[in-house]
Amino acid sequence: MNQSLSARTDQSQGQDPKQRFGMVIDLNSCVGCQTCTIACKHENDTPPGVQWRRVIDVELGQFPNVERLFLVTGCQHCDEPPCVPVCPTGATRQRADGLVTMDYDRCIGCGYCAVACPYQARTIAHEQNWYYGTPTVQEEQVAQKGRIGVANKCTFCVDRVDGGIAQGLTPGIDPEATPACANSCIATAIHFGDFADPNSNVSQLSGDGRAFQMHQELGTDPQIKYLYGLDNSMPGRERTADDVDDEALQDPDNPLAGQRQTFWDMRAAMNFTLGGMSTGLIIMAWLAYVTGFLPQDSLLAINLVAGVGMAVGLFFVFLEIARKFRFLYVLLRPGTSWMTRETYVVALFYPTLIADLVQPSELLHLALAVAAAAFLYCQARILPAAKGIPAWRGRLMPWMLLATGLLEGAGLLAIAASLFSGPAGAAPVAAGAGGVLAVINAILWRKYIATARACGIGPLARNALAAITLRLRLIGHALPLLGFALFLGLWLDYPFLAAATCLVAGIGAVAGGILWKFTVITKACHQQGFALPKVPQRGSGTRAAPARMGTAV
Amino acid sequence: MTKSKPETKKVPTYCFQCVSGPDLIKVEVEDGVAVRIEPNLNICGQHPGKGTPCVKAYGLVQKTYNPNRVAQPMKRTNPKKGRHEDPGFVPISWDEALDTVADKLREIRSKGAKDNSGYPRLAASFGGGGTPTRFMGSFPALLAAWGPADLGFGAGQGVKCYHSEHLYGELWQRAFTLAVDSPYCDYVINCGNNVDASGGATGVRRGAEARRRGMKRVMVEPHLSVTGAMSAEWVPIKPKTDAAFLFAVIHRIIKERDWREVCDVRFLEEDTTAPYLVAPNGYYLREAGTEKPLIWDLSDGTAKPFDANIVQPALAGSYTASGLELGADEEVWRHAGVEVRPAFQMLLEHIDEYTPEWAEAECDVPAETMRRIGDEFVAHARVGATIEIEGETLPLRPVAVMLGKSVNNGPGGYHAVWARTLLSVLVGAIEVPGANLGTKVRLNRPANNKHLSAVSSRDGIMDFPFNETSKEGWASQPKIRNGYNTLVPLSSSSPWAPALGPAHLPWLFQKEPPENWPRPTLPDLWFCYRTNPAISSWNAPEVAERIAEFPFTVAFAYTKDETNHMADIVLPEATDLESLQLSRIGGTGSGEQFWKHQGWMIRQPAVKPVVDAMDMTDIATEICKRAGFLAEYNMAINKGAAGMRLVNSQFDYSLDPEVSYGVEEIWDRVAKAASHDLTNGEEVHGIDWFKEHGYMLREFAQREWYLYPYLKERGIRFELPYQERIKRHGAQLANRLHEAGIEWWDGQLKDYDPLPKYESFPDIWTNFVREKRQNPSDFPFWALTARSMQYAWGANVGIPLIYEVAENISGHGGIIINKQAAQRLGIGQGDPVVIESATGVTRGNAVLRQGIRPDTVLMIGQFDHWATPFAKDLNLPSLNTITDISLSLTDGTGSSSDIVRVKISKDTEMRSAGS
Repeated sequence: MNQSLSARTDQSQGQDPKQRFGMVIDLNSCVGCQTCTIACKHENDTPPGVQWRRVIDVELGQFPNVERLFLVTGCQHCDEPPCVPVCPTGATRQRADGLVTMDYDRCIGCGYCAVACPYQARTIAHEQNWYYGTPTVQEEQVAQKGRIGVANKCTFCVDRVDGGIAQGLTPGIDPEATPACANSCIATAIHFGDFADPNSNVSQLSGDGRAFQMHQELGTDPQIKYLYGLDNSMPGRERTADDVDDEALQDPDNPLAGQRQTFWDMRAAMNFTLGGMSTGLIIMAWLAYVTGFLPQDSLLAINLVAGVGMAVGLFFVFLEIARKFRFLYVLLRPGTSWMTRETYVVALFYPTLIADLVQPSELLHLALAVAAAAFLYCQARILPAAKGIPAWRGRLMPWMLLATGLLEGAGLLAIAASLFSGPAGAAPVAAGAGGVLAVINAILWRKYIATARACGIGPLARNALAAITLRLRLIGHALPLLGFALFLGLWLDYPFLAAATCLVAGIGAVAGGILWKFTVITKACHQQGFALPKVPQRGSGTRAAPARMGTAV
Repeated sequence: MTKSKPETKKVPTYCFQCVSGPDLIKVEVEDGVAVRIEPNLNICGQHPGKGTPCVKAYGLVQKTYNPNRVAQPMKRTNPKKGRHEDPGFVPISWDEALDTVADKLREIRSKGAKDNSGYPRLAASFGGGGTPTRFMGSFPALLAAWGPADLGFGAGQGVKCYHSEHLYGELWQRAFTLAVDSPYCDYVINCGNNVDASGGATGVRRGAEARRRGMKRVMVEPHLSVTGAMSAEWVPIKPKTDAAFLFAVIHRIIKERDWREVCDVRFLEEDTTAPYLVAPNGYYLREAGTEKPLIWDLSDGTAKPFDANIVQPALAGSYTASGLELGADEEVWRHAGVEVRPAFQMLLEHIDEYTPEWAEAECDVPAETMRRIGDEFVAHARVGATIEIEGETLPLRPVAVMLGKSVNNGPGGYHAVWARTLLSVLVGAIEVPGANLGTKVRLNRPANNKHLSAVSSRDGIMDFPFNETSKEGWASQPKIRNGYNTLVPLSSSSPWAPALGPAHLPWLFQKEPPENWPRPTLPDLWFCYRTNPAISSWNAPEVAERIAEFPFTVAFAYTKDETNHMADIVLPEATDLESLQLSRIGGTGSGEQFWKHQGWMIRQPAVKPVVDAMDMTDIATEICKRAGFLAEYNMAINKGAAGMRLVNSQFDYSLDPEVSYGVEEIWDRVAKAASHDLTNGEEVHGIDWFKEHGYMLREFAQREWYLYPYLKERGIRFELPYQERIKRHGAQLANRLHEAGIEWWDGQLKDYDPLPKYESFPDIWTNFVREKRQNPSDFPFWALTARSMQYAWGANVGIPLIYEVAENISGHGGIIINKQAAQRLGIGQGDPVVIESATGVTRGNAVLRQGIRPDTVLMIGQFDHWATPFAKDLNLPSLNTITDISLSLTDGTGSSSDIVRVKISKDTEMRSAGS
């Protein structure tokens, strides 16, 4: 599905669609002075620790072949902004002129946009902090209380741009219509302007391949373009493997290495875990029911338990939302946001569940299973849409979430069958499906790990994944597979032993799902780092600019 | 969705927190509260930084509203002073505070301005670079009205400034500091001059523009600084061996290449002392009678006075000639048919041993790299090229050499500055478009025009106001406690000279009085303003102890700090955004302040003082009135002590000496005089006009950037390569000191060498470890420091916003160490480490980086605060805690270098602050 197309339908304000505002940043000019950082803080009154514009200090290579450069970061106002379609409320939008804006009154602080951004551009300040501990009169005067608990990011100083245009000024040329960072830059490293105009300052500067876009491979088409070479003195060069190796990226202090995100924590993981296993259970139970292995009473009991489990998961995710009273805004983006869609599914699921409990029918059983599958599918789409987290966004992730949800469901069904007489008959279904699903899960995990590096998952996240792989294979894959297989061999002759085996296999299936989801969501959740496909040729040793026996021009 | 801004006013003012200013800003004020800073883009067409200030200016709002500000005048109640003594400050009224200070001044006056050792009883110290004068209102008039004051208690100058450059730079090219003529320069060899961190908004902008134009910079330094990062090439040199590197580059150019082809021979012949003949005793051969130095004319094989019509001056070779040789102390040799050599020939012989291979062993840079850099330098010099500037054709020599602080300070500084200037001279790349340019003068006069000081000596070179070393002229009695006029001929006697003398000596002598020297005394009263020597000096802990011995210290204070911790009276002055002053702008100045305009700008109260603070001008007026010298004070202002004479033949805006004026009235008079002077009376504006408009400019010719055309007009030569005057002054100074029984300055006398000989300068610091009876092999690292743009000069270490943004730049979190070297020591990223020198210990967290030599560690800025609010909790290390003040580390100009041998280990007893 092409999310961006539907994101475009969100264009709401009357800006000129013939314009496309963006920036050009010159890596051979920026000296990392942080004047733009601090000017932005003044202009936008951001609270302590929040930097919409930030300049990071980058090293490439190893002594004695080293290069250092300063990289201006911030919202890239992507042409295909991954933060926009995921936003469940419509608080984040893309205007016709390309600016990606924030409606602080609409935002619920769910953090989805923050994990969707591959440029670490978004922050959520959960409480109002003051630089000196207590507020100064100036801080009180400029404090933006409406921005607490909601997502924040650079707006390209949208008020300046709009105000300037309204006065007939040209953004990027007239300071009154230009973002504060560009105005403040003491090195003329930051240029703002209209990429849609081939004659604009930014188009002229960045033409002829003189600029690169960061993470172009993610399809975001960022509207900050970096100049990296000066023909006769410090020409550009391609990034080499030893510029930033794994060892460098293992250093959490390396600004190129993404930090572990904290927007979605164990509360989100609880939803993915409880939601996955509950919906998996409902689907598995329905399968057992329609194949005659599970009586209706047991099906209803299982559905009730699963519904409660899912509700607990949803309650955790509700706790994750910073602006809880605005919760219902989550329903405003069904066109693009899987979070919105998940909410609608929930809205269908529980009436169906209640109706089925009150007035059981085949149709309602089926409807509930379909709703559960839809919920599981939504979950499978929510996480991978978080493009800012390499470990989440891989192509395998939806399949992994689906397969694990089903495996967990099979595991839970197996546990229920082992422990209770009512559903005991469903054990072969659970074991049969569980065994197959354990194999599928094992294959998916293997591929996931094998392609992790290629998918852009950094060494810190890969370490976190590697740390659980053996346990996952033993508990989450081998144990269910062998346990269910053993069960199928034993169940006719040794029912008690078989039940025990089934129980253990089921527990393994559930534990494996919990293990990897919690790990992926809360531990291997490093944000996309910064990367430069091309860099200026300058530095020491092999990185030095070429010798020049002539004049500058 | 975003804020709607209320009605606001924007107040024009300036930021001059660092020496590379000023930058003009606007303060956005909402309902009487300063809320934001923004560039003053009104002046973007005239300001060489296009009206943008650097990051520091944006800290001024938080500075103003810092809750840790001293809220009212205070006096000390605990007579004991020291780091671990609670001063027991109690609030007092301004009346009591001012009366207390005035009474003290009256008491001092009654005893006489000088004490029994001949030293001024009043002392004052101000922060670096002269920037405090841009904030202290009319306080200089108080000092001028008072009379003798000791301004020579250093706050770190000598190691923190460009000391050798200040002195030799002014001697050779009227350059208190040097800059690159960035708009035209194509190639820069930069030995550790961190201009992209310290050059201010203007330096950064011009540098970036030059890079985009194609300027190539090679950065030679032990760690990859911000400036190194922005250079085409980083050459990781062993610390303190830059002179060896430069000597080898010179060797490449004049010994391995054909100097007749690659050098600017015409320039050497006509515009330098390279052809001056050197007689057997090392002084110039002079014409008998006129005593003019002689040049050998190859066209007819005779020696002629330097200003005669010489057809073909000899630069190389050896000749037989006759004449006088004037040595030290009027010693005269009369030579007949003696062998003489041109100074350039002396240079050729001198530089012979300094081959690239020799240098490689010394400075750890491949010989081929030095050869290539020498070749690039001469290739880019474009000898013979010209450029038209404002209709005048001038030489174009787009190459420059810059030196950093630790490079040109202390032992080896003379060598490096000489080699740098010589490199420029070899290709004629001095004080012409594209080349190294002096920014301003501090030792020569007049202070606001570097060119007018360039008058010819009788030897055809620029005269220089050396402190006398002759028998009759030498000052055996030092004027002040650092003895600049007695010990350092080059420091001259300008108002700046006290601060440019050996400003660390007062602290050293206070502890260890030297022999045969006036007994070091404590000043009866010490004013300190915008300075914190207890943090910023080398061996800061020791200096803090010396400050604690002072009997009466009056500190102007913004927050508590480590120096005013020892104060007796603390006076909160209205700070940057709260007070009024008019100040000069434009022309040429530090950093890369090269303007095509000059004039005046205002600093004005954007907001009322948020504490019970007084404007410095009012404080100065009140003290003078109460102490009984108001008339002298007003007359000092009339004579220009507030920056502009109020009366001359064209106008009279003078103050009535007997009247006590308020701050507005004083600056209104200054404004009128300044605008009158600027426009020849066509546009006279009072202070209100400046408050509205912010600044007033008139054009300033670009030609004024360049000294060479003036020298050429006046027939003055650059005094390179040979240093006859230095040699003579050194010999005479040695005689004078030895006659006075002073031998403790002998080490410094080695610097008076006409052609500086390299010695292994790093060994000086290694040997210092031995001097402290420790084993050098226990201290395997060089520890250095580097400037931080976010903090440098700003006294803003107590401002959390500055801290926050500075954290984005590596190294602000601790001590930078090479990653592989750290790993060998088992030190990981962020580990707490202890850094020990032979004399001190500092602590911080390890910052592992690749851009630093494995034998070097680096501590940015100067931290280690223990009293300054906010800063004292940062747990940052400081080089100043582990350096030592010592004569062994002091050079002939009275400076030393920010370098020390250290060992690093994991900190097993982390400070509570950091844990």
